[in-house]
Amino acid sequence: MKTKKILSVLLAAAMMSAMFTGCGGGDSAQTGTNADADADANANSGTQTGDSGNKEASGSGEIKEFTAFFAVPGSEINDDNEIQQMIAEKIGAKVKETWLTGQSAQEAVGTLIAGGEYPDFIDGGDGMAQLYDAGALVALDDYIDKYPNIKEFLTEEEWDRLRQDDGHIYWIQQFGNIYGEEKATTHNDEAFWIQTRVLEWAGYPEVHTMDQYFDLIESYNEANPAMEDGTTNIPYTILCDDWRYFCLENAPQFLDGYPNDGSCIVDPETLTIIDYNTTPTAKRYFQKLNEEFQKGIVDPESFTQTYDEYIAKLSTGRVLGMIDQWWDFAYTVNDSLKQQGLDVKGCNYVPLPITIDEGIKNQWHNSGGTLNVASGIAITTSCKDVEGAMQFINDLLDQEVHDLRFWGVKDVDYNVEESGEFSRTEDMRMQSSDTAYKASHACTYSYFPQYTGTSRDGVNAMKPENQPAEFYDSLSKNVQECFAAYGAETYVDMLGTSEAPGPWYPMYSYSNNMTTATEGGMAWTKMGEIKHEYLPKVVMASDFEGAWEEYMEVYNGCNPQAFVDEMQAELDRRMAEAAKYN
Amino acid sequence: MASQEKKKNITWKEIKKQKVLIIWSLVLVIYGVIFYYLPLAGWAMAFQDYKPKNGLFHSAFVGMDKFKQLFSDASFIRVIRNTLGMGVINLIVTFVMAILFAILLNEVKSNGGKKTVQTISYLPHFLSWIIVTGILHDALSSTGIINELLLKFHILDQPLNFFAHPKFFWPIVAFANVWKETGWNAIIYLSAITAIDPSLYEAANMDGAGRWARIRYVTLPGIKPTIMILLLMNVGNVLNAGFEIQYLLGNGLVQSVSQTIDIYVLKWGISQNDFSIGTAAGIFKSFVSIVLIVIANQIAKKNGEERLF
Amino acid sequence: MEKNKSGKIKTSVWDKVFVVCNTLFMVAFVIITLYPVLNTLAISLNDGTDALRGGIYLWPRKWTFKNYITVLQKDNLITGAYITVARTIIGTLLALVANAILAFIVSRKNFIFKRSLSLFWVVTMYVNGGMIPTFLLYKNLHLTNSFWVYVVPGMVSAFNMLVIRTYMAGIPDSLEESAQLDGAGYTTIFVKIISPLCKPVYATVALFVAVGQWNSWFDAMLYNRMSSHLTTLQYELMKLLSSVTNQGTSAEAMKNAAGTVTPTSVRAAATVLTMLPIICLYPFLQRYFVTGLTIGGVKE
Repeated sequence: MKTKKILSVLLAAAMMSAMFTGCGGGDSAQTGTNADADADANANSGTQTGDSGNKEASGSGEIKEFTAFFAVPGSEINDDNEIQQMIAEKIGAKVKETWLTGQSAQEAVGTLIAGGEYPDFIDGGDGMAQLYDAGALVALDDYIDKYPNIKEFLTEEEWDRLRQDDGHIYWIQQFGNIYGEEKATTHNDEAFWIQTRVLEWAGYPEVHTMDQYFDLIESYNEANPAMEDGTTNIPYTILCDDWRYFCLENAPQFLDGYPNDGSCIVDPETLTIIDYNTTPTAKRYFQKLNEEFQKGIVDPESFTQTYDEYIAKLSTGRVLGMIDQWWDFAYTVNDSLKQQGLDVKGCNYVPLPITIDEGIKNQWHNSGGTLNVASGIAITTSCKDVEGAMQFINDLLDQEVHDLRFWGVKDVDYNVEESGEFSRTEDMRMQSSDTAYKASHACTYSYFPQYTGTSRDGVNAMKPENQPAEFYDSLSKNVQECFAAYGAETYVDMLGTSEAPGPWYPMYSYSNNMTTATEGGMAWTKMGEIKHEYLPKVVMASDFEGAWEEYMEVYNGCNPQAFVDEMQAELDRRMAEAAKYN
Repeated sequence: MASQEKKKNITWKEIKKQKVLIIWSLVLVIYGVIFYYLPLAGWAMAFQDYKPKNGLFHSAFVGMDKFKQLFSDASFIRVIRNTLGMGVINLIVTFVMAILFAILLNEVKSNGGKKTVQTISYLPHFLSWIIVTGILHDALSSTGIINELLLKFHILDQPLNFFAHPKFFWPIVAFANVWKETGWNAIIYLSAITAIDPSLYEAANMDGAGRWARIRYVTLPGIKPTIMILLLMNVGNVLNAGFEIQYLLGNGLVQSVSQTIDIYVLKWGISQNDFSIGTAAGIFKSFVSIVLIVIANQIAKKNGEERLF
Repeated sequence: MEKNKSGKIKTSVWDKVFVVCNTLFMVAFVIITLYPVLNTLAISLNDGTDALRGGIYLWPRKWTFKNYITVLQKDNLITGAYITVARTIIGTLLALVANAILAFIVSRKNFIFKRSLSLFWVVTMYVNGGMIPTFLLYKNLHLTNSFWVYVVPGMVSAFNMLVIRTYMAGIPDSLEESAQLDGAGYTTIFVKIISPLCKPVYATVALFVAVGQWNSWFDAMLYNRMSSHLTTLQYELMKLLSSVTNQGTSAEAMKNAAGTVTPTSVRAAATVLTMLPIICLYPFLQRYFVTGLTIGGVKE
């Protein structure tokens, strides 16, 4: 009972002190301007052990420590990570990274802004514009010229595309940057995928149109309704879970031979925006899906399955074909197929160059990087040592450090052949995909600027997955055979490569950041809602025409023209910007 | 109890006598003001076009615009209907099940059996919704156990895709809630039952009361205060029908019945970077809750039942 | 229970039917409840990619501890465990004391502010100012980047207060009155007379608070994101889960997250690890529920 008394006294004391500080706090909140928030941030950073290092450390040989927050989910690495330490010793700085957990990017960024305290580096993801609005970021233009690797990272035109409406550059887009010759092996993007066993059974036919694709699947399924072990095949499934319903809705743009602008088609001739939801191709595509659904070719669970269930389905090797982005399924599914020995039974997926009719040039795969100007790595006003931070980014782009980040340690993670070519043994490959090993050993600083393409040594790829020999060796026999039959060496060869689209590309970097504050953004959100509900209905309907008409009516009710107009304005703006360089 | 409303006895003598109580309640009220009432200043956001960079004090004032925006949107009205519908169904079934389970468990004679069942019963409480919904999806899929059973007993002639039909959605959600929380919710009733004076049971036995009579005249009245107070409290919660389960179980085909206020707020507020609309919806929810609670409390008071305040 | 004899003849048949039905009900209940838990356990002990094939029910097909190793190898887990235990103990004690005092006050029948004080707290159950204002408040109270943010803000909860109050209301007034005649003040009555009688309800509330404390992670993320020495167990698990749960919208995020363990299996392992301590703790608290019987005897 005595302890209780003591506790209650403590309690009272705690509350009293809370009360007083509370009142004081209330006052300062009332005058809470940006300057005030900054002052607060200063006061607080003193108590943070991580921050204190980067104040006077420069030049003294001490290792500077920066903090970073990325508003995307990611894996944290261990504090005593080996490669992080090696890089730190080499360049004199390291970064403690934290990632998004259980919040949306906007929420996370919203609370950071409200609190006025930021980490040194930040990538706000979908909340990037908010950070800029709040004046939380340091303008980088004056610094960029002083750091050769950073300067070299983007072209003058690309730097200008990153400029915000005040004319300054606040963030550096980390991805989609190709150094030297492009070394594309996997087709990382969207495609109609098909299992190699289907192609092999049919004698590797040429498949170019949507009708041919479904005919092939149908006839294979008729001849082989089940797998060897008796599991029945699922001829075609569609992922439709939450934001991943792009697998259902965005095919019409590709079928018409346009690249992945994501939310609309850009006609390269007339430079006008076309809404792909209402094109004749869209209707034909959904009518085809409807027919196949009635025939039982389309998985009846398509529209109710979750992402986890979808991945589990693909992992059993039962699914003959589907449309999806490579990164959305391959990393997990391929591992699982391999473990079960299903890869040698032809259950791996390869992409096919499908369009709506013969003779249309497909643009499933485009060469060139995709510069998503909507986000990137930025330095915040809370950072005490902007020069040191820039130096850090600069040093990360050094070839030696870049190799450490993505290849790892020589003789441990990769071998060097006499020709100077990097290679990995099977064990090394296995190790590099081990989660625990990655956390304790590997440090890619994955949301800092990086290259793909060819290394500065002219021999190797910047990243292991793009090393041709490395890539080919890791393929299963069936995939290699299939590639050979089509005269291909990589996934990309299966589709053929198109030139990089025009300077507007990609339009999704704009539509992703639309908000309901504008009429077009409002329409865009509503269109998404409607499509989510009606497209499954259209596919499942016994009366397609009626269902399509109903869908179109509701669809037009949410004012898609406002969206198209806003996209057109953005397209015009981008083209005008680009015209300055011709 | 009700007759004790003698307001006149607030005398100095009484205050002096209750000095300790008053001091303590003052301390606790100060705590409450700071931690619960002070943040309500944030409700101002609902009347502003709030931007994080401007903060609460420098965002543009827009009056009732955000509320107008909410209530002029047909889908928000639909969302209220869904939230209320699921809230009421969940409230009733979880309540009845928890009480029923507590009473039945109490009738289990074997002490070991009782303890084992109870320990098992609250385990689902610790499973996250994502696991629970995963299992539900499994069980209800066209090759799942439910369809298998229905086919075997010829209730269906082909598998039914439960998640494709809006009419099944609310019952599935209710079932999931019952399954996950019955054991946990029963803890409080079981605790109340153990506190019932055993001599009352003995007396009932002496009078030759059967099992049913014992439950009816001893157990139920014994836990009635607990039941009443929890019921009152939860009446205010019907608009908090949930977010995660509907979000995880929902899909395009059933979205007209699956979306709750919280999902709406996420879609149209948070992910559109509009904190004001979320706050407005939150104020609406609080308002409805308090109205419901006050009404329920008045009803309880009239009937001389336990009440909240 | 020998006194049953008198009613035995009449009720024995129904009694038997009831016992059989009740037992069947309990067995069914246990099966329906236990299956998913055991299924989760089995999946947590099964190889992640193998589990994707499905068909795992109560027994793992391809045994591995890899999922657990992945979870347990997480850096900061020890710090997290330490903080979590600390917040559970301190938070539960603080909450219990505060709620008990409050419940005691509002359950005094002649307390002059009884009704308004209850209302004051009941309202707090249904209103909140939202994430950002709360964040600002805690920041100005210097609760951010501090341990106290875990235990001070949620200390008094109207729900727990009401639970205790309901119980206290059932304690006969005669006890308080006779103590007052003996010259005892409210403090003595609370500590010496009411509290000992309230053990069952204290145990219940302690369990509720402890479970809440044990499981919470949002506060750690929101207020102590940059203070890794204040991380909690559940926050570390959440970070792990959100990195393997591929919710990223970009190829980079997916690549960053991919590995040999799958979200499902790691989630299962984390769930089992989360449940374990509470399962161990529960029997001890359950003892207090049972002592409620003997204490009830005082009531006359």
